[in-house]
Amino acid sequence: MIEQIGRRRFLQVSALGVAGLLTASCTPGELGSNEVDIAVPQLLPVLGPDVVNDIGRRYRRAYPDESSAPRLRAAIGASHRTTAMIGWTQQSLDEQLLADFAGGRTVVVNGWVLAVTEARQCALYSILHG
Amino acid sequence: MHVDARELADGSLIEGDVCIIGAGAAGITIALEWLGNGKQVLLLEGGGFDYEQQMQQLYRGGIVGLPYFPLEAARLHYFGGTTNHWAGFCSTLDPIDFETRDWVPHSGWPIAYEDLAPHYARARELLDLAADEWTSREWERRDPSLRSLALDERVAWTKMWQFSRPTRFGTKYRDAIVKAANVHLYTYANVVELMPNESATAVDALRVRTISGREHRVRARQYVLACSTIQNARLLLASNSRVPAGLGNQNDLVGRYFMEHLEMPSGQLVLTDRRVPDMTMYMFDFGRTKARGEIALSAAMQRENRMLNASVSLTPGTLAGAAKAQSTFQAFPPDSMPSFRRSAPDEQSDAAEFATPPVQDMPRTYDLLTRQEQAPNPRSRVTLMQERDALGMPRAQLDWRLTDLDRSSFRAFYEVLGREMGRAAIGRVRMNDWVLEEGPKWPGSLGGGWHHMGTTRMHPDAKQGVVDVNSRLHGVANVFVAGASVYPTAGCANPTLTLVALSVRLAAWLGSRA
Repeated sequence: MIEQIGRRRFLQVSALGVAGLLTASCTPGELGSNEVDIAVPQLLPVLGPDVVNDIGRRYRRAYPDESSAPRLRAAIGASHRTTAMIGWTQQSLDEQLLADFAGGRTVVVNGWVLAVTEARQCALYSILHG
Repeated sequence: MHVDARELADGSLIEGDVCIIGAGAAGITIALEWLGNGKQVLLLEGGGFDYEQQMQQLYRGGIVGLPYFPLEAARLHYFGGTTNHWAGFCSTLDPIDFETRDWVPHSGWPIAYEDLAPHYARARELLDLAADEWTSREWERRDPSLRSLALDERVAWTKMWQFSRPTRFGTKYRDAIVKAANVHLYTYANVVELMPNESATAVDALRVRTISGREHRVRARQYVLACSTIQNARLLLASNSRVPAGLGNQNDLVGRYFMEHLEMPSGQLVLTDRRVPDMTMYMFDFGRTKARGEIALSAAMQRENRMLNASVSLTPGTLAGAAKAQSTFQAFPPDSMPSFRRSAPDEQSDAAEFATPPVQDMPRTYDLLTRQEQAPNPRSRVTLMQERDALGMPRAQLDWRLTDLDRSSFRAFYEVLGREMGRAAIGRVRMNDWVLEEGPKWPGSLGGGWHHMGTTRMHPDAKQGVVDVNSRLHGVANVFVAGASVYPTAGCANPTLTLVALSVRLAAWLGSRA
């Protein structure tokens, strides 16, 4: 079911283009059984909410054009479009982070060397929970 | 045989086949290699067998340029030299350290790692290190409790360090030296000048003074200068009665290229894997740990990022602790030196088992201390002051200077390390604020490892180095230099193991010809 929805939404998004991503991304609280909430970074249990919030706020200051929940969700989804459409699973998120690091898609925020995806997750977290 | 030079009649003449000036790690190593070789070996030590404030004050000097440890605290002036308070950290240089790197000005040794490798084995024995094994795989086989992090070796690797107890040369080798029939140890014999022949192509004799005011002459066919990096340069520069610029200084190179290891708290690693990996490999317990790993970057990464070599140690910490990082200048003030000597673990070793200590709970957060080589820099130098010491010798002045490459390499290192730790799903790296800052200013946490290198660098071309490939002073046929002063580059490994290996090499080469 999730896959079918994803495929249908992928076609919609393809037709709408990247701009459409800003409005077509899934909303929190509607997760499938294997899905994870991208607004909860994996770093959270390790670094704690204060550090994650701080990273998030700094990221948003550094990249103000991404400083809204829809834009951050879109940017995270755009980084791995197909998976994003079927919802993020723990495995796909892990793979995305590793791919970011391996591909050099990293960003330094307050000294932390982070995958771009997780930095955006922190930013999203700081909007929703900061 | 041992003679206290203070008890010799004023104006005595001391003669032998070969004379070693300085009884620290380098000088004692060479003397040990020559035990019973049929040559009469003179070993001159400026101090006695114990620490004495009066003798130590002979090392006092000036500091200009970047802040540095007081010179009289940075080296010990008695039999055994600075091994009397060293910490025992040993690792080999890496093959890339010997290469000419186009992004590191003045880099390149005239020898390769393979030339030195056989001598590391003998150095290992002298320093009481556990094994001739310097790869993490070998140590993992020896000790199953040691497991390296799963890093991509094309990017980063576990560089092995071994720990001497630490061996105090002055204690361990005193009897062997004093009882040797062919080694003649003279204590309180401070060389104040190498006296060359008229053309300054060879040294005829040494002028030796005691603190009590007596002066003697020493004659040998060959001389080995082994007084430590700063004192080697000081003595050559002060040997200026016939050559105003100083002996071996025809190209204004003596004293230049002084190098330290930049040892600075630089960041933190937080393990993010759901299962915390066993980090025993990277743990250290002074006096007990035989070997541990540090994280270094591959030669390929160094080339790609045009950065200096470095390795980083991991110490359990907390995220809140990063702001408390201190400079080694602050963490180890000069008045802490006596306690270093008292706590020599060779006195503790019977009580404490010398084995890998068990680690109970693996922490998730580690403080990262960088040990980075300093780029060779001709402006970083030792010169002479007008002020003289109690023996009439001009005091040394250190002008320690760093370059942009020294600074930029830190950030490059941590960006690569951070990416690799993330890619390997091991953890996340945070750089300290100063690493992120740009510009020439160094932070208050600037620190060194008490490691002095350069000042008489090795190079086959006399216009680019002070000694040749065999450590012979360019232009002076019978003077050789031992110790870390001959290093053209520093690597990131602490210098003692390599300087002992180089001393073994010099002893073998010179012993076969003397």
